[in-house]
Order: sequence, then structure tokens, then C-alpha cells
Amino acid sequence: MKLPVALALLIAALPASAQAAARQPTTQWVLQQSTLTYHMTHPLHNVDGVSHDARGKGICQEGECNFLIAVPVKSFDSGDSNRDLHMIEATRGADYPMVIVRAQFPQTSTGSSTIYANLVVQFAGQTAHYEHVPFQRTSVGNDVRITGTVPATCSDFKITRPSFLTVPISNQIPVSVDSTWRPT
Amino acid sequence: MLFALTCSCLLMAPLWTFAQARSNAITQSQPSAQIALSSSPVESAPSPPQSYTSALPDAPDPNVSAQSTQTTQQKNPPQSGQPSLDSLGFPSSVTRPNPKEQARLDKRTHMLKVHQTLGLITTIPMVATLFTGPLAKAKGKNGQVVTEPTPANLDFHIALGGLTTGLYWTTAYYAIFAPKIPGVKKRGAIRVHEVLAWIHGPGMILTPILGIMAYRQENDGEKVHGIASLHGPVAYTTAAAYGAAIIAVSWPIHLKHLRF
Repeated sequence: MKLPVALALLIAALPASAQAAARQPTTQWVLQQSTLTYHMTHPLHNVDGVSHDARGKGICQEGECNFLIAVPVKSFDSGDSNRDLHMIEATRGADYPMVIVRAQFPQTSTGSSTIYANLVVQFAGQTAHYEHVPFQRTSVGNDVRITGTVPATCSDFKITRPSFLTVPISNQIPVSVDSTWRPT
Repeated sequence: MLFALTCSCLLMAPLWTFAQARSNAITQSQPSAQIALSSSPVESAPSPPQSYTSALPDAPDPNVSAQSTQTTQQKNPPQSGQPSLDSLGFPSSVTRPNPKEQARLDKRTHMLKVHQTLGLITTIPMVATLFTGPLAKAKGKNGQVVTEPTPANLDFHIALGGLTTGLYWTTAYYAIFAPKIPGVKKRGAIRVHEVLAWIHGPGMILTPILGIMAYRQENDGEKVHGIASLHGPVAYTTAAAYGAAIIAVSWPIHLKHLRF
């Protein structure tokens, strides 16, 4: 007689705890400033292309956070206009002018120093999914700084690797993210 | 037993209510349960999990045509509880696809690739012409016996010079007539590359002209004199500027352990 009662109480406790998680306050975030840097390697060259033009918003509600960051492909600057134009051509940046990143992670992890996010990246007319990507979180006053690296590759986006002196660049084009978010 | 069953049913009621209210959220949270242990990319081509597509609807299917992907990127329908691209406030001039510009970029890249390849090929006859130059030159100072070059050496040098000139101007054509992209301010190594063209370009006009003048003077039994005597120095300067232009556009060079 006691066992069913105990089970019933246990079942009753489950939704209560789930509801508690869902009751976390809804928060909205706006990207204040950001530095996105792609790193390209070639036997003769190491190149970093930097953009500060990303915009983003995030919403945390019902236990889940959804963030959106977008940046124009054209805004990346490698210090060489010829190379930047070639990058836009190779990534079909005029046809697909925006890089759009959607990040999803549990709301409970917003207090952690490391956030593991699932990312969906739209770039060059392709979509790639990256799961469990670690980002470091630090509080800066009222703001939150998020840093990490998206382990992107050319093949993820079906980009024909540009070559120099007939040698193609490395397939790895990791994109490091340094962003500061402010709650609204 | 009846009491326990009744109690269970009553206690289950809030769970069902909660499940209905959160039906959408559960669909979204499923991927979290499927999280892999590594941050490996998952290609979207074999269609992502349904839960992902519902949670992240803006991700275009890579198998669809470019046009429909563009439309998806532009329209970006806002989903409840998720920020949309439109809400970020980018001007439409930034987010709008521009197929004409893409075509212009494609043509530009194609022409500059040809320019690069031909430019490297041109260095071969150019260097060979420099090496055969002294063999095509009459030797001996004024008042001494002048040794004329053999016709074979002279013809070989002229042929190499002609080949170099032809390849050079073909190479230049692909750079000069590559489409320009409006609004792009030139930065970096390309500026040095282009400045050096103002040295080797005129040099590649002057060198053959001075070479023809020198050839005629030699054929007339004269020692090469006047402006024609500058054929060699102009040729060397042109080749040096040309080599520097190739290095400039490749700079900075980062080898594995060495940095230049």
C-alpha cells in the first residue's frame, strides 16, 4: 500500500521541479559589441579576417535560450582588399550576404562559466550544425562576455578552397567569437 | 489501493497540464538530449533532426535552389520566442542578395587567376631573356676589334624577348580589364603590386623599342650608342620591378617556423 503512494508522490514531484525550471524569468539580451575573426592558413600565409559589425539578440524563456547573431560577409577585413574580395567571391557572399548563427542552450547554463551551445550556421548558401560547442562566459558589470570558437571548415559550407601558387588553403577556418551582451 | 490510484490520478493532472503548455518547448528541447560529446559539425544535407528544424526554422535546406535559399534568408519569418534577422535592424541593402555583383566577382576572380598563372609563366622567358642578353651584345671597346654576336644568339634573344613581351601584355590585359568592384578602397599588398606596375609597365614598352634600336645599330656595323645603350639597364630594372611585384602580392610570407 505504501509503495504506490510513494510512487504517486514521486510523480507529483517531477512536474513541480520541471515547472520550477520553466519558471525561470524570461530575459532578453542585445549584442553590445563583438569581434568575429576567421583564421585561414596556407603553407605561405596565416590570415585573420576580422569583423566588428555583428548584431545579435537573445531570448531566454521556458528553460531555453535562443540567440541569433548575424554579420555581413563583406564586413570581414583581412587587411588586404584583394583577398577580401576573393573571400566574398569564394563564399558567394554577394548571393548570400549574411552569416547567420543561431545558438541554443539550456537557460540553466546561463550562470555557468562554460556554456555548451548547439549552433546552426547559415553561410555561403549552406547550413551547418555544430553541437555542444563550448563558450566561456564572464560577467563584466551588468554585461556578459561570451568567447569561444566555432570549428568551421570550408567543406561544411561546400566552399571551394581558394589556392595560392596552386596550393589550396587549409580546410579549417575556425571562427573565434568575442561578444558582449547586455540584458534588456 | 483505490485510494492510492485516485491519489495518483489527481497528482498526474498537473503533469498533463504542464505537458500541454510546454508541447512546443519540449520539441525544442529534444536536441539538448541528443547533444554529442564533441563539437563536431553535422552536415545539414542529410536533413537535420525534425526537432532542430522546428526550433531553428531559418536554416535553409542546402538542397534547395539558390534562389529559394536567398528568399529564406531575406524573409526570415519570426518564430515565437526566437529573435529574427529582421529584428536586428540591418539595412536591406546589406541583407539583399546581389546576383549581378556575384557574377562580377566570379568574372573578376577568373580573370585574376589567369593573370596570376600567366604572370608566373612569364617569369620563365623573362629570366631566360636576361641571361641571353649578354650573348646578343657586341663586345669590344671603341678603337678595338668589335666581336659581333652570332646570328643564332641574337635570334634566340630576340625570340625570347618577343615571347616575354607577348606574355607580359596578355598577363596585363587580364589585370587591367578584370571588373572593378565599386566602393572598394584598395588596401594591403595589392597597392604595392599596382605601384610597381608603373615601373615594369613602361619598362616593357621601352625595353623592346630600345632592343630594336640596338639591333639596327649592330646590323649597321655600329657600336650600340645613344638611348639604345640603355636597353640592358632598362630590361634589368623592369625585371627587378616585375619580380618585386610578384613578391609584394605574396607578402607577408609565413613559413611553418620562419616569418618574413
